[in-house]
Amino acid sequence: MSNEKYYVPHGTYWPIIGSIGISTLFIGFANQMHDVSWGWPVMVLGFAIIAFMMFGWLGTVVAESVGGMYNSQVDKSFRWGMSWFIFSEVMFFAAFFGALLYARVLSVPWLGGADNNMFTPELWEGFKATWPLISTPGEAGQNGVAFSTNFKLVDTWGLPALNTGLLLTSGVTLTYAHHALRAGHRDALMGWMLATIALGVVFLGFQITEYGHAYHDGLKLTSGIYGSTFYLLTGFHGFHVTIGVIMLTVILYRIQKGHFNLENHFAFEGVAWYWHFVDVVWLGLFIFVYWI
Amino acid sequence: MNLFVIAILALIFVFLGSAVIGLLRGGKAGSDRMFKALRMRIILSVLLFAFLLLAGFLGWIEPNGFNLLPTQ
Repeated sequence: MSNEKYYVPHGTYWPIIGSIGISTLFIGFANQMHDVSWGWPVMVLGFAIIAFMMFGWLGTVVAESVGGMYNSQVDKSFRWGMSWFIFSEVMFFAAFFGALLYARVLSVPWLGGADNNMFTPELWEGFKATWPLISTPGEAGQNGVAFSTNFKLVDTWGLPALNTGLLLTSGVTLTYAHHALRAGHRDALMGWMLATIALGVVFLGFQITEYGHAYHDGLKLTSGIYGSTFYLLTGFHGFHVTIGVIMLTVILYRIQKGHFNLENHFAFEGVAWYWHFVDVVWLGLFIFVYWI
Repeated sequence: MNLFVIAILALIFVFLGSAVIGLLRGGKAGSDRMFKALRMRIILSVLLFAFLLLAGFLGWIEPNGFNLLPTQ
């Protein structure tokens, strides 16, 4: 273990438990989509197995790290792993922002006859290229429902702005926590971490309230391209904030246990970057969905 | 005005990217770089948010609005 060149992991059963969990989750999900009665409970079981695997596997890694089993090469591999994970996350959200851009700037105007698409308005009679487009053209045409004319826009100065303020404040408190960690101020570090977690939880609460309002007002996942992109973007963002809150809580627990020092706190750095990232994604959402 | 907002957002992403490079390098230098980049990103984000609110208040930018309420 003291060899600085190579680290060979020991045998472990966690990967196969993870595979069983993912398979169970997808079998449940697929059957739930087909309205099979046992689909939903099997899906929940899959989630539970994955949660068990995450807890056990990451717990093993933490125990090994604290036990002094890792050398500088393992540290390097963790940093590369985190960087590739970050890259995949950036690409994930880039795809959804790209879909929003494509629908809003290109495909919807084209359906309305923009550029050289002079014949496309004939595809669906009465179609007007508007944004937000909250009905699917063919479906709305068949049902005789007007295209997004029975809805009006209200201003942005409500929960979205408040939530942006909350999340940005959590970015500030996390930066103070980061500074406290680097300066060795343990009590301040724990206080700022608690504040960050609390702000994240309040953000999620408001987001659930906002979904309730939007859904009650008739904006659904099936409400045209706007409804789809809106719920997918904000929904996946909310999912990431949930994961971020869980990770911050684990880090707070590890701080309390004294796992980090001034030189060695990679786990904190990884989670801090992740939180800053979900913060910036929300800022992007706030700008592109609500403002410009 | 929209381009200005997008440019600042892009700059925020540049600082996030710089933080990743710091994270990847590790050690004292990497850790310093990461902290400074993340601090710059939060300063810029707060300023951008304040600017958006001010611009909306003064009418420089007309917000989209997002809540779609039935009119009838």
